[in-house]
Amino acid sequence: MIASNESKGSSLIELVDLTKIYRVGTEIVNALRGVSLTIRENEYVAIMGPSGSGKSTMMNILGCLDVPTSGKYVLRGQDVSTLSQSRLARIRGRQIGFVFQTFELLPRTTALKNVELPLMYAQVSRKKQRAMAALKRVGLEDRATHRPNQLSGGQKQRVAIARALAQTPDIILADEPTGNLDSKTGEEIMAIFDSLHAEGQTIIVVTHEEEIAARCRRVIRLHDGMIASDETISPVSAPAPRERVTTP
Amino acid sequence: MIRRFGNILTAPFRFASGMVSQTFRNVATAFVQLWANKGRAILTTVGIIIAVSSTITVVAFVGGFGKQMTEMVQGYGTQFMMVQAYAPSSDKRRGTRRVRLDIADIEAVRIDCPSIRRITPFVYTPNGEITFGNEKADEIPVRGVTEDYQTIRNFHADVGRFFGPVDVEAAAPVMVLGRTVMKRLGADETIVGEQVYLDDNRFLVIGLLEEKGGNMGEDQDLTVMIPYTAAIKAYPNLRDSIPFLAEATTPEATHQAAAEITHVLRTRHGLKPGQRDDFRISRQDQMVKEFENIRNIASGMLAGIVSISLIVGGIGIMNVMLVSVTERTREIGLRKSIGGRRRDIMLQFLTEAVVLCVIGGSIGVALGYFATYIASLHPQMIEIEVPLWAVAMALVSSAGAGVVFGIIPAFKAAILHPIEALRHE
Repeated sequence: MIASNESKGSSLIELVDLTKIYRVGTEIVNALRGVSLTIRENEYVAIMGPSGSGKSTMMNILGCLDVPTSGKYVLRGQDVSTLSQSRLARIRGRQIGFVFQTFELLPRTTALKNVELPLMYAQVSRKKQRAMAALKRVGLEDRATHRPNQLSGGQKQRVAIARALAQTPDIILADEPTGNLDSKTGEEIMAIFDSLHAEGQTIIVVTHEEEIAARCRRVIRLHDGMIASDETISPVSAPAPRERVTTP
Repeated sequence: MIRRFGNILTAPFRFASGMVSQTFRNVATAFVQLWANKGRAILTTVGIIIAVSSTITVVAFVGGFGKQMTEMVQGYGTQFMMVQAYAPSSDKRRGTRRVRLDIADIEAVRIDCPSIRRITPFVYTPNGEITFGNEKADEIPVRGVTEDYQTIRNFHADVGRFFGPVDVEAAAPVMVLGRTVMKRLGADETIVGEQVYLDDNRFLVIGLLEEKGGNMGEDQDLTVMIPYTAAIKAYPNLRDSIPFLAEATTPEATHQAAAEITHVLRTRHGLKPGQRDDFRISRQDQMVKEFENIRNIASGMLAGIVSISLIVGGIGIMNVMLVSVTERTREIGLRKSIGGRRRDIMLQFLTEAVVLCVIGGSIGVALGYFATYIASLHPQMIEIEVPLWAVAMALVSSAGAGVVFGIIPAFKAAILHPIEALRHE
């Protein structure tokens, strides 16, 4: 509690010298080799990198789907790198909202029920109202009773975003969210992320598309399991070119 | 801060209501899932269906026979017993004595056993042949008795008359027919007063027995009765060993009556202490006990068969649940990534297995009811009824099979790693 108060407005995520080593058969893969990183609240971060750069591993650890081999991951003041499976599940359910490339909606289940799913696992009250509110935020309140096979790709991804939002998570973690969509629909999805960011949501997008990354405020590039670059992009309204005053 | 504090206060309530709603949701999910694979679900439950429906049917039959048995005992009274000559195997081997039970024995029992109210010789042959004009009826059970038999076994003539003491004394060739025999001879009630032949002996039909219907699968109207004296005349080989029926004065006196008969017969047959009885007394109450023994053995065997078929059915369930877990690996990954814990996933799949089994059990119960209904349509069928405890037990044990055989697939689902599950193609 104290830690969370202290971290308020400052760092939401702190990675300290994070490493991840896999063993694939007899081969040892150093997926992450010493990553340190701080992400503050309401940041809008793109994680980029070629395949094999460790960005999937990074996302899995940030999403508490996996634990680091060494190093520390502090999420809102809590060290989550050593928690049990069941505590991790709890954190995934309450603090992290996943958006996947392939949507991962349950078939034969209405949009509303899909959105309610994380609320069920978190055992919170007023599930239906909360799920409805989340659907409203992505503009799909009129599709609540539709099943995934009755929805377009963009609509499916919006339902998935609503599902991620339902629990008011600390972070939205989107893994190639536009990867299965045409560019126009992808644009719509990114617009939703933009507006969520404007409302104060912390968003991390894992992508390999430069156009997507360009919408974010910060781009972290990974290479061979290490941070190759970490640049903060200036706001969209590009500053007016400063005229150099020259003295005659 | 306030929100978190409120959460702590309402936590127990939320936990309880959460459990209920989660169970409810799991059952709903199970139905959706099973409905999506209707054909597979039905085929999977065939084992359970067969196990349950056969149990229900057999239990209903055994129960029906038991009820019938009880009614029979109540009808005859437990004070009824039958005495037959019987050679103990050791005596038979030696071949020293002839097994005998004769009229003098029966008379002695009648006179010397105060606990016996009525007694009648019972000369019986299972396959008499009766000829009436051109009509023939064979394999007719013939009973040679006295007039007391009417009272002991409650057989009465409703057309004509039963034979009396004079007919017995005179070995009169008179006969009382059961209704089934009358029909087999192609006759109606006018057969009373007509002559028939019983294995070449001429008899006069003097009465018809009132209709009794079936009992324990035996047609009680398929019989003829003649004076035992006439029976001995017609079948001289039955003369040496005449069984008899006796009725004790009260049900409580049955034991005493049996002791008296034993004493009288042993004395008359000159048996020394240590020698075994050369006759056997079958008591109605002991018959009931024997039947109960048979019923218990049958129940035990049934339980064995049921458990084997439940195991077979359960393995089918386990197999299909394993397939289901593999098919839904991505769904499991997703559920885990949005907060599903191992036990949530475990419960979900366990619920699905239990629901599957209970559906199978319910269909089995319905089929069992249907089978007993069909069986009860048969005119000679005993009255059968499916007991409620059997239904409850069938459902509980199929749910149990669901838990037992659902555990492994559910566990397999629960321990899946979320990342690998999400990556599953």
